[in-house]
Amino acid sequence: MKTGKQRALNVLQNILLIVYAIFALFPLIWMVLISFKSDTEVFTTTFVFNPTLANYQEVLLRSDYGRYILDSVIVSGGAVLVSIIVGVPAAYALARYNFPRKEDLAFQILSYKFAPEILVVLPLFMIYQKIGLYDSYVGLIWVYQLISLPLLIWVVRGYFEDISVEIEYAAQVDGYSWYQIFFKMLVPLIKPGLVSSALLAFIFAWNSFTFPLILSSNNVYPVTVAIMKYLGTDSAHYGQLAVASTVSALPAVIFALCIQKHLVRGLSFGAVKG
Amino acid sequence: MARIQLENVKKAFGKVQALDGITIDVKDKEFFVLFGPAGAGKTTILNCIAGIAMPEEGAVKFDGENVNLTDSAHRNVAMVFENYALYPQMTVYDNMASALRSKLYKTDEAEIEKRIQWAAKTMKMENLLERLPSQLSNGQKQRVAMGRALVRTPNVFLMDEPLAHLDAKLRNSMRTELKEMQANLGSTCIYVTHDFMEAMALGDRIAIINKGRIVQIGTGDEIYYMPCNEFTAQLMGEPQINIVNAVISEMDGSLIATINVNGNNIALKLPEDERVYQKIKESNLTNVDIGLRPQNVKYSFEPKEGYFKSSVYSYESIGNKSVIVAECADDQLRMIAPNGLSVGIDSDIYLYFELDRAIIFDANTKEYIVRYDEQSFIDLAASMEEK
Amino acid sequence: MAGLTLNHLFKRYDNSGKKKKIKNDFAVKDLNLVCEQGEFVALLGPSGCGKTTTLRMIAGLEEITDGEIYIGDRLVNKVHPKDRNIGLAFEDYAMYPPLNVYGNVAFNMRAKGIDKEEIDRKVREIAPLMQIDDLLDKMPVKLSGGQKQRVNIARAIIREPELLLMDEPLSHLDGKARQAMRTEIKRLINKIKCTTVYVTHDQLEAMSLADKIAIINFGVLQQFGTPTEVYDDPANEFVASFIGEPPMNILETKIVDVDGTFFFTFKDSNLRIAVPKRYYSVVHDGFCCKMGVRPMDVLVGGEDSKGTSEEIATFENLGDERRIGIRVGDVLMMLITEDEKRYKRGDVIKLEVREEKTHLFDIETGDRIREKEI
Repeated sequence: MKTGKQRALNVLQNILLIVYAIFALFPLIWMVLISFKSDTEVFTTTFVFNPTLANYQEVLLRSDYGRYILDSVIVSGGAVLVSIIVGVPAAYALARYNFPRKEDLAFQILSYKFAPEILVVLPLFMIYQKIGLYDSYVGLIWVYQLISLPLLIWVVRGYFEDISVEIEYAAQVDGYSWYQIFFKMLVPLIKPGLVSSALLAFIFAWNSFTFPLILSSNNVYPVTVAIMKYLGTDSAHYGQLAVASTVSALPAVIFALCIQKHLVRGLSFGAVKG
Repeated sequence: MARIQLENVKKAFGKVQALDGITIDVKDKEFFVLFGPAGAGKTTILNCIAGIAMPEEGAVKFDGENVNLTDSAHRNVAMVFENYALYPQMTVYDNMASALRSKLYKTDEAEIEKRIQWAAKTMKMENLLERLPSQLSNGQKQRVAMGRALVRTPNVFLMDEPLAHLDAKLRNSMRTELKEMQANLGSTCIYVTHDFMEAMALGDRIAIINKGRIVQIGTGDEIYYMPCNEFTAQLMGEPQINIVNAVISEMDGSLIATINVNGNNIALKLPEDERVYQKIKESNLTNVDIGLRPQNVKYSFEPKEGYFKSSVYSYESIGNKSVIVAECADDQLRMIAPNGLSVGIDSDIYLYFELDRAIIFDANTKEYIVRYDEQSFIDLAASMEEK
Repeated sequence: MAGLTLNHLFKRYDNSGKKKKIKNDFAVKDLNLVCEQGEFVALLGPSGCGKTTTLRMIAGLEEITDGEIYIGDRLVNKVHPKDRNIGLAFEDYAMYPPLNVYGNVAFNMRAKGIDKEEIDRKVREIAPLMQIDDLLDKMPVKLSGGQKQRVNIARAIIREPELLLMDEPLSHLDGKARQAMRTEIKRLINKIKCTTVYVTHDQLEAMSLADKIAIINFGVLQQFGTPTEVYDDPANEFVASFIGEPPMNILETKIVDVDGTFFFTFKDSNLRIAVPKRYYSVVHDGFCCKMGVRPMDVLVGGEDSKGTSEEIATFENLGDERRIGIRVGDVLMMLITEDEKRYKRGDVIKLEVREEKTHLFDIETGDRIREKEI
């Protein structure tokens, strides 16, 4: 049974949460609203305006927006794919084998995420130009590893550590080779962690701005950088900018919603014990 | 269906010598028990046989063939792990079918189905086949782990404390079931336990392991009646064997053992037994330990001829019978009594040692010297081996 | 004077907030229990049977749905736990880590503002009793499991409680230490003579420690009696199979009349056992029930035995004793013998049963069928 005092407390809690939600979501809502406004109405602060799809037509049909999205997909997807291929075995090794300076190595991998991107990007820019990786898919995929790999390795490692080593022994005794054990027994068990960390890595890579801004130009044009195009030198098309942003945010939002349950459980389940 | 031999196997983990020269020879179709306290190295021995751990020295042989370089998949062993090691993502049925579906031990599905039904029936878990391991209790998991091994026809079954996590009742009834199943297994079985009742009940032979070494190998009867030292004697038996220090002297051709009970010296004449007298005299010892099983200490609550006085420390039931613990010097003497006596704690009790059932140990080295009726127990052990 | 009285005690957990309907909504159902002053009573039952709930209600940590609890002559339903004058020693009743053993034992009295000399006197008095005199300066982390339990109990009894409550105090200890600690507890309680309620799921612990055992299943009291009573005269099939290791052999049987003598017969078995005369008033030809007999009361007969010949299904040599299993239908009937003779599977023995030790149980309810009183 709830007393009146408890009920009042509940109401208060809910009010606070609602206020915070409005505060946090307002910029997004505003962005979506702007995308439906004509340039003349952009600066009105009331919520009354004439919705128009002109901005959408302009961006989606009359510019290279499709190409930018494709570039982003190639680069982010490629980065995550490479991370999985490299990171899962690395995570397994870190979880199962003992070798000198193991923890140092694991920490070093994590430390890639510590440095501000802007700090490493300038030397990288010079190196990339020298070795011909500047403005190439491979170059961006490579540099995105700094974002996706540490995340993936650390989450998946926790998952491997949670699997008792006897399960592998049991499978060995059952007559399976190491590769069969890995794909038949272990991969299904780390799947929640792998999926959630891969998607999170994808979202981070998708949203990356500094690296593509500096390390690419005309050949590879991820959407985050492309948005800048709509801030023309002569005039700022805020409506088109908002459309570009809204559309580019969609994949992240959709992913996040789809895997919401998975994400929270997946990330905490494996990692806590690791 | 193989003879398993370990020859001088050594294995160290860092600075800890887990196995220090283990040599055993398990006959084909034998049920062999590795018995010892926690951390003795029992599981490591199993892992070496399974090929999960690699010995640093020595050889593991299956039917005389050295398998040191064979990986565990190709050794054709079935293992029951202490922590079950069930595949969490598979149903019980798929867990049990796992080995038979591997490339090496490929069996057709109809046959798999048949064997699983048989194993499930034996382990009383027909209703569990569709469940996932996470939906099972510990006792059920343990049965699934056993079932997963039983569906195979391996060279050897390796079982690592398969009953350890069950409660006392289920453990005892499962042990009996296992004993009944044993004849049908038709394969060599190496079984690790720290429970002496399991060791005694199941083992054709038992190896006592301590600190990575073999202390004694023999049938249950040999080890129970003729333990090679006090350590083994104390491991075998519940409640534990009583070990009383005694000073030996000779008088009129008889040997007298003097024991100290709460400050009083009590002289007990050792019953005459040619072999016992001869062995004690040969050993030239004045100080021996007398080992007496609790059922060989008799008690009375009234003073009685030949009984000496002590006081009751505790009286408690251990199921179908009870144990009286009496004070004796710094140590305690345990004896078996029926349930339902009214015994006052700290009340007087009079004790009598049935010395003609005693085992004599060297008080310094704690090694076995001789026991009463030794020949008859040697004969008993030999007759069991024939069976 | 009774030390503790439970009068029609009920406990129902409020499940209104949960969508799932829970089958057994009563955790404790109409429990009546009278413990005499100074008695050691064990609440025994499988996990989830309501024994801990009962203990928590006595301690005042759990609300009572219905019924009355008296400690001594005092109705304590509405009394705050700290005023009930009880000592608690729980399985996980943690010690205060920053305090040494002395501080832990004295903590409660210090909190009550009892003067220092009085506290010191009491601690010094109780320490040797609990054999913790050498430990008083040690910190809790340095103690072994058994030592911690002793300190725990010392802390519980230093207040000189009217009632001592213990909840599975030994379940964290391993085999050998557990047995030793059991002996210690028994000696201690014997010395302080305090009414004690002890919760356990281990029948051995209850049998060896308690003056009286209350066996509980599904929140309902099955039987309350001395260890000998519950062992020799179980109220129903549950008690019979819960007490004793190995448990009582319980077999479904059909009684047949052979020329005026009744026999127990069993499906798929040629085993037959004479029905004790005292049951003649309650059975008839074709009567179906369950028969229970303890493994100790099944014997291997000599050569001239009249028992039926049975084939041995299992033979276990346990050193101190030997256990023989006989298949009766699909049940394995166990017998225990200390005889030195060795058998093997397949040997045929004459099976004798001490008929007067057999018990009859109702096939449906499991209740004991007793002979009619004359």
